[in-house]
Amino acid sequence: MKRLQDFTAGDTFELVREVDPYRPVYYAGASGDFNPIHIDPEVGRAAGYHGVILQGMCTFSWLSDACVGYLDDPARLVRVRARFTKPVQVGDVIRIEGRCVAVEGSAVKLELSARNQRGEDVLKSAVAEGRVEER
Amino acid sequence: MPVDRKHLGRRYGPYRFQVSVEQIKDFVAATGGGVPGHAFPSPPDRFHHPWTWDEEAAKASPHGGIVAPPTFATTFAIEPFARACSDPELAVNVLRLVHGEQEFEFHEPVRPGDVLETEGEITRLQERGNLDFVEVTTTTRNQHGRVVVKGVWTAIVRN
Repeated sequence: MKRLQDFTAGDTFELVREVDPYRPVYYAGASGDFNPIHIDPEVGRAAGYHGVILQGMCTFSWLSDACVGYLDDPARLVRVRARFTKPVQVGDVIRIEGRCVAVEGSAVKLELSARNQRGEDVLKSAVAEGRVEER
Repeated sequence: MPVDRKHLGRRYGPYRFQVSVEQIKDFVAATGGGVPGHAFPSPPDRFHHPWTWDEEAAKASPHGGIVAPPTFATTFAIEPFARACSDPELAVNVLRLVHGEQEFEFHEPVRPGDVLETEGEITRLQERGNLDFVEVTTTTRNQHGRVVVKGVWTAIVRN
């Protein structure tokens, strides 16, 4: 398990996730978000998309998971925030890139981006903070 | 029509949620590249933290057992936000609504067996151009009365 001394400003990390055709349905089942725009392609098309769109909170989970991977403990993440800027659709490949911007005491401050395969931001102003206590 | 400012401070809940290890594993599979459920499941990939789904690895961890991934909070803490967005008193057109912003503040990990209660309050109603911002702040406590997570959920409605 990583220790506080293992975290340094300038560290980078990433997580890549592909939106396979069933992902919005799996996420609906596991999260309880059955909004038809996520499970019925007709409803998605009526709203102007190619089909269903992924739940924003699934993308948000990937953002959080990237941080957890870097922090090396799910319980170390104390804050995460982002704005949703573009819908994520089936077939998209989302790349989350994170950077440690500061280590202040036990606080590890992170800034992140989340972009699709066309380089468009699907999340913006993404920031997170970890707390790494010496055991 | 923008949401009437008189609804600022309107409260929702508490809503109760009992956490099971199956729910956590399903959530981890769905967000971790696997398949949830018990008929044709597949586990999350190696990029997902093992302490959230692998019982043996979790047992040997400092937590002594599985802890939920932080954003598992979505499954239980979303309720006041969802109720506000569909509240007939607010008369929000859900077809014109998108989830605009999200923030979580995590205080304590969630574990299987936890009994959680989430309350929410409308903390911002703001018109900006033709957009209407509806912000709901939620607080979730566990069976020990301790706060586990606070959430700030922002919907944007196109008028």
